[in-house]
Amino acid sequence: MGAVTYPDEKVIEFIEKNMIPIQVLFDSQPLAAKFNIQWTPTVITLDEEGKEHHRTIGFLSPEEFIPSLMLGVAKCHFDREGFGKALEMLEKISKDYPKSDATPEAVYVRGVALYKSTHQAAHLKDAYKRLQSEYPSSEWTKRAQPYSLL
Amino acid sequence: MAKTITWEKEFGQVLVQARAQNKMVLLDFFNPL
Repeated sequence: MGAVTYPDEKVIEFIEKNMIPIQVLFDSQPLAAKFNIQWTPTVITLDEEGKEHHRTIGFLSPEEFIPSLMLGVAKCHFDREGFGKALEMLEKISKDYPKSDATPEAVYVRGVALYKSTHQAAHLKDAYKRLQSEYPSSEWTKRAQPYSLL
Repeated sequence: MAKTITWEKEFGQVLVQARAQNKMVLLDFFNPL
């Protein structure tokens, strides 16, 4: 990460605009115990109260890391029912990084965010249809399968 | 000179900054090897 991903101009730009970054050794206490760190690198997205909303383990290229961070930010908003801000970020992931590994989850969370903000179940079914069409082998397509029954 | 990420070191200070700037926190546990 330090050699390839963190020096990347777009990664730096995204982090500067959206996040406060902190880097600690994998065995630094009490944080390593608090977040149950077993693998490195482990990258966690927290809200401003220090609550975890998303984590990744292992190397990610810049093209995968940025949408992963975007998903983390979106989930911070989603988990606190900030659906407008969550949707804005989730749609940007699909638009700017359609091929990333984070995108199927973003499509899934987008469907749930639309459902929770409108109470229209059609959004869940639409999310499944889109996942089935665009990401047929994704685990998120499998997780959304029950929505096909709505 | 190329830009680099300015990493913070103190967790408590990071949360203060995140609240003040309305941003989320990126917490990276790394192995220097």
